[in-house]
Formats: sequence, structure tokens, C-alpha cells
Amino acid sequence: MKRKGLALTMAMAMGVSMLAGCGSTPADATTAAPATSPKTEAATTKAGNDSTTEAPTEGQTSALTPVKLSVFSTYAGNDANARLFQDAYKAWEKKTGSTVYDSSAISDETVKARVTADFESGAEPDVLMYFTGADADSFLDKLVPVSEIQKAYPEYASNMDMTKVPASSDGNHYGVPVNGYWEGLFVNTKLLKDAGVDVPDENTTWEEFIKDCETLKEKGITPISASLATEIHYWFEFCIFNHRDVQTQNVIPSPDNKDDYLPLVEGITDMKEMYEKGLFPENTLSMDGKEAKQLFIDGKAAFYCDGNWAAQSIFEGAENPEDFTVTYVPGEGNRKSTDIIAGMSSGYMITRKAWEDPEIREAAVDFVMSMTTDDVVAKFAGVSTDALKTPAKIDKSQYNALQLSGKDMASKATGLALALQDGIPTEARVPVFDNMAAIVSGEVTPEEAVVEMLTLVAESKTE
Amino acid sequence: MGSMIYKNKKPLLIFLIPAFAFMVVFLYYPFFLNIWNSFHVIKGLGQSAKGWNDPWYSNYLKIFTDPKMRTAMVNTLWMMLATLIGQVGIALLLAMMVDNIKRGAKLFRVLYFLPIVISATALALLFNLIFLYDTGMLNQIRMAFGANELLDFKKGSLAVLTMIIPVTWQYVGFYFIILVTGLNNISPDIYEAASIDGATKLQRVRFITLPLLHNVICTCITLAITGALKVFDLPYTMFPNGMPNNKTWLTGTYMYYQTISTKDVDYGSAIALVIVVLGVVLSQIANHALKEKDY
Repeated sequence: MKRKGLALTMAMAMGVSMLAGCGSTPADATTAAPATSPKTEAATTKAGNDSTTEAPTEGQTSALTPVKLSVFSTYAGNDANARLFQDAYKAWEKKTGSTVYDSSAISDETVKARVTADFESGAEPDVLMYFTGADADSFLDKLVPVSEIQKAYPEYASNMDMTKVPASSDGNHYGVPVNGYWEGLFVNTKLLKDAGVDVPDENTTWEEFIKDCETLKEKGITPISASLATEIHYWFEFCIFNHRDVQTQNVIPSPDNKDDYLPLVEGITDMKEMYEKGLFPENTLSMDGKEAKQLFIDGKAAFYCDGNWAAQSIFEGAENPEDFTVTYVPGEGNRKSTDIIAGMSSGYMITRKAWEDPEIREAAVDFVMSMTTDDVVAKFAGVSTDALKTPAKIDKSQYNALQLSGKDMASKATGLALALQDGIPTEARVPVFDNMAAIVSGEVTPEEAVVEMLTLVAESKTE
Repeated sequence: MGSMIYKNKKPLLIFLIPAFAFMVVFLYYPFFLNIWNSFHVIKGLGQSAKGWNDPWYSNYLKIFTDPKMRTAMVNTLWMMLATLIGQVGIALLLAMMVDNIKRGAKLFRVLYFLPIVISATALALLFNLIFLYDTGMLNQIRMAFGANELLDFKKGSLAVLTMIIPVTWQYVGFYFIILVTGLNNISPDIYEAASIDGATKLQRVRFITLPLLHNVICTCITLAITGALKVFDLPYTMFPNGMPNNKTWLTGTYMYYQTISTKDVDYGSAIALVIVVLGVVLSQIANHALKEKDY
């Protein structure tokens, strides 16, 4: 009898220990707190005061209840803002006594799929610094609109001019932006000089650019470093932009109207022609984006298309950083070379799960406000763009020559267009983005790929 | 009283219940739900089904017509073959050699087992550097020996081989340890008696070692077949998205891609079921072909 009792007790203990992890955490709580509890007001006032003054500094303390806050951002790896992000949230941790669980990762299609899967499986973070375009469309209902937050916390994002920020597909703003982006053409000036080719400028046309690439190719230099296997989106944008204009670049065409989607087909056909002319590396179909970037940094390719986030790693990785500069991707048709892909496409968002837990809500709001003060934004925006009402004061001594070259390029741009891909859900990009090798190899025609992609976009909107 | 514990099985059953409940909740329920899901339209993890597929078995028809799935199946069969010959075969050779040396056997056990404890992702990054097109280790060696052109180890038909080699290398140590343990269970007296009878080393391997290791080898083959069907992390890190040009899909990587990247969860579920069915069928075939023996 004693043995039976002991066995039963041990079995129950095993069962309980296994199920212990299944209990709900405070973050799972679904009871909404009153919008203006005394604690909330105190936090609002404090955070509100912070929003247009100083970033959190050491020694400051907060009245907030210390919590564990899960945060995701795309500030990671070699991104110049990764360290700034870590410094900023560590300062917030010191101020509040809270702990940030940072799961930041460099954005790529896999990471985007992971973020979406986290939302779908209920494992989303409390706060995320993420894209506000189509990448977030599938989980907009799990985010809290800025306007809703402002009803409870009027100072939230009050230092931002939200009109500069594109709204999400449902018309709401969810993200509080920190920094914008630009995409441009990184150039190895030494390779060009050695080959007797001029650095492209605002007057260089697409035709001239392709001729220059062919000259480089003839002289044994890889003209453009790019991976057509995993990272096609930069050339996808500019090649299509060359057949559209600033106003229409980010408009998603209908798959049923050939005139509408023809510019996309023409743009992708241009990429195919570039591949056929051998303007990309020999192994462009079997290399990843990191290899392509490294090839350029190592001085083995003349051009490389990327965004402002790449400027620091290229400058730091290059043996002779003075050999590198940033310029416009040459244009044709209605697109001037000085029309660039740039804008605000990401921001700090608070998830509904965090919002519905009173303590996490206060911490999340305070965190976002701390991360979007004028001073913090000035540091992050740096050489890109921002949405501050009061223009950020930038200390140029903080930035390298390549970053400043990019800033100069972006500031002289005649037109800014948002990336077309921002309006295309991740899963709909597959027929073009994951199939570029098949497209350039002739197994799939550009039109077939474009129509399939647009059909998937149309289907995602009807679901 | 002491013998009651062997006669009364109820306490044992009570002990088994928690583990059984755990398996039901976290394995069998998701497994049967996965089968259900494969017949429905599901466009994202965690999303509810949007009705039945039309026809309800369409995903299973698609498996037979999808060229990427065909590539995945062919590559997986190659992987299986490489696993059987490369992993179990090499592990058997190494185990027998290590079993025959008097000094350093422990050192070799650790050395051969080491790749197992290293993260597959780290190994993939390591092999990426070895096979790198520009300035990769192998190309540097080739150039040092007079090659004029760089060789792209990730291109065309070489890609599958480049993917299979690290996976094979990684798990040799796993089967090596199992086989060494099997060899340790063979009594030295049998070898001694065979030596006295004049058996050569090869004869001892042929007539003593291999027959007595038969059951252990059977286990290794079953593990190798099911392992090859599921392999994911190292190939996906080295060859994301079936790179180059959808040539390197495996059943495991393609299932992940369909579920996570294209969000075709129901199709991913169907592929997952095919992996399980293939694993069961092929391991059963192997078991029947190499019937376990009692000596």
C-alpha cells in the first residue's frame, strides 16, 4: 500500500513538473487595465517629459514596476544602429529596473517569416521595431495603433510628424519611426579608375551604366556584386523603378491588367539581360547576400547596391575605405537617376498582447518613448532620414566618409519612392524573389513570375 | 512481499501515465492534427483552416507533380545512400580499427564523436568557408596546385555532393559510438579462440565481428534512414531556399520552406506526413531485409 502511495505521489509530481511550463504568464493576461490608472498617469507624465528632452541616462530611476520585456528589432549584426540600440535599451533597463529580452536579427526573408510565425503561434514579442508595410499586414490585428495608444498616453509619439510616415494597409499607423532608409549604389572608385571608367553620377544614364559594366567585364573585373539566389530586392526595385516613376513605384498592379504590370516584367527582364551579359559574379546563383557584400568589400567587384545600413560595415571591412563611395543607381525613362528608393518603412510597435497586460503595457509605452526621444532618434537617423517635428541635429564627426557620402546623395535626391516590395507580402514574393535563378536561366519567363506574384498579392488581400 | 512488486504491475502503469500523457499531448495529437491539416486550406502557422482543399487530397496529388518535391525526394534518396555507406560504413570501419588498437582508443573515440556536439549551424558556416567560391579553402588549395580557374562547389550537380559531404561527416561519430559499444560487447575470448584456430584478421571480422554486430548495424541503418529524411539545419544553412536554382531541396528543408516561407501550411503538413510514412516504410523494409538475429 505504501509503495502504491509513493508511486502515485511520484507520478503526480512528474506530471505537475511537466505541466509547470504550460501556465500562463502575466504577458498572457487578457484583462485590459483602466486607461488612466494612477500608475499609468505617473508613467505617462514621466515618459512624456522624456519624449522631447533627454534620452535615459545612468542613475535615473523610474516609478515603473520592473518587468521582463521581450523586444525584437532589425538592429543586429553589422548594422551601425545595432550598438546604439543595445546602448539605448540598456540605459532604459538601468532607469526602470526592467529586463529587455532582445531577439533582434538582421532582416531577411527567413527572419521575416520567423516574425510572422511568432505572431501566428502567439509567441510575439511585447515590442518590435519592424517594417510597417506588407510584412506586418498579416498581424496588424495583433498590434496597437499609435492613435489608440495616444488616447491613454497623449505624449506618445508626440515629437513625431506622423504625416511623413506611410500608414499601414488598413490606414492606421502602428510604428513610431526612428530612422528612415535610402538605397544607393556603392562604388569601388579604385577599380573604376584602373579600368578608365568614370564613377556614375546624377547625369549617368542606365544605358551608359550598362556600357561601363561591360567595359569592366572586358577588363576582367566583376561589374556588380549581387546574389540572385537570396538577395535580389535591391536590383528588383531599381530595375522596375526605371520603368515607372516616383508616384507609381510602390503601387501594386493588378495581375489581370498587362499594361499595369508590364513595368515589372520589363524591370525583371532587365535583370535577366544583366545576368546574360555576365555583369553579376560567376557564382551569383549559388552565393548568398553576405558573400556578395564581402566580394565587394574585398575589392573584387566595382558596384554593389544596398541601403544606408551597409555603409558602416563596408567602410570598416574595407582595407582602403577611401576607395569607396555611394552614388545614384543610374536611371532611364521617367525615372531620373536622382530619384531614389527611400523613406520610412519601419517603427516601434506595441503588440496587443503587451497592451492588455497593465504592467507590460506601461513598460512597453515607456520603452518606446525612451527609444524615440529626439536625442535617440538623432543618433539612429544619423545619415538616413527621420520623422521628427524638430529636425535632428547631427554630429557629422560621428559618421564615416561613406555614411556622409550616402547622406549627401540622399539629401540631393529629386524624388523619394518607397520600395515596391514593402507592399508585397513575404509569401507572395516567392515566385520572383526565390525564383530569380529560374527566371534568369529561362526556365520561367519574367511575365509568368510577375503574374504569379501579383495573383498571390491579390489573394492575400481577399483573405 | 519482496516479490509482490514484480507481480503487481499497477505501480508501473501509474509511472507510465505521465510520459504517455506527454506523448499524447505533444506528439500524437499534433501528428493526427497534422494529417487533418493536410486536407484543409491553411495560409499561416496558427491560423485556422479555411475549409477543405478541392479536392480534399489535392496536396497529395501536388506532391507527385511538384518538380521541387521531386528534386527533394531524389536528393533525400541520395542523402540516404550517402548516410548508409558514408556514415554507417565509415563508422563501422573506424570502430573496428579503433577497437583493434591498444593505445589511444579513448582519444579517437572523443575525436570522432566531437562533430556531434558542435552545432550543425556552426558546422555549416565552417563548410561554407571551406567550399567558398572566392578564397575558400579548397579553391586556395586547388590554385596552389596549379588550377587556373576557381571551381564553384555549390553550382549545378556539384551542389548536392557539397551538401551531402558535411552531413555525412557530421554524423559518422554518432554511429561510431554505437558500433564501438557493440564491439565492446563481443567477448575477447571468441577472438582468442579464433586466433588459436588459425583465423586471419579478415576472417575474424567476416565470421565473428560482423555477425555479432548484425543487430547493432540494423539499428544504425534504421536511424540513418529516418535521419536522412529529417535532416534540415546544416543543408538549410549552406543552401538556403534550395540554392542554386532549386537544386538542393531535401524533404526536410522543403517542408520547412513550404510551411514558413510560402505559408502553404497544409502542403507543408502533407510533406511532413510523407516524411513520416517514408521513414516508417523504408526502415521496415531495411529491418525485414536485415532480419535481427540471435546468436
